[in-house]
Amino acid sequence: MKNRFLFPHSYRRIGWLLFVPFLVFGLAVLNHDFQFDFLEISFGKSPSHGTFESIFSVNTINLSDEIATLGMILSLLFIAFSKEKIEDERVAQIRLDSLHFAVYLNYAVLAIQVIFVHGTAFLDVMVYNMFSVLLLFIIRYRVVFNLENKA
Amino acid sequence: MKNTLKIQRAIKNSTQADLAEAIGVSRQTINSMELAKYIPSTALALKIARYFGKPVEEIFELEPGD
Repeated sequence: MKNRFLFPHSYRRIGWLLFVPFLVFGLAVLNHDFQFDFLEISFGKSPSHGTFESIFSVNTINLSDEIATLGMILSLLFIAFSKEKIEDERVAQIRLDSLHFAVYLNYAVLAIQVIFVHGTAFLDVMVYNMFSVLLLFIIRYRVVFNLENKA
Repeated sequence: MKNTLKIQRAIKNSTQADLAEAIGVSRQTINSMELAKYIPSTALALKIARYFGKPVEEIFELEPGD
């Protein structure tokens, strides 16, 4: 059976190897304002330090959060959408069911958060929401797949 | 949907793994079908029928409510 849009089987391992460090990196960026100095880029002439302009200056940005986000997205995609050793129509069915499940659950959780989380805390909700669909999908898919493979 | 996969396999004296390999699916898929947990596509049903050399109706049968 032809299955489009899937990565080779080996990408799952690559995904996990990338996911762990990027998760640690991402959580550090999100919760502890961690930044790698070498990821700082500047463009244009930055106003001298201590002046009024320097407070609102956007001439320098640190790419730590961008790298962490992209790394998380890429590694989660690799884990979620790599082929099984034997791809067949039942696996495709489990994958589709799990995707359906994940989207529903994700929006249910998001709806609850929309109701109960307000102000700047909601920004964190949106950050977690960037990855939660894929995470829920991976969990549901792996659980069902492994349960059925034990049979 | 009911099926007689297990019986057909016994007649042909083949294992789940044999059948799985012959039709290009995983052994778990054969197992799921035998437990009537998974209903195969038409293409797969036809492949199974060809493997056993029998018409599809002899292997798969609709149940009331299907």
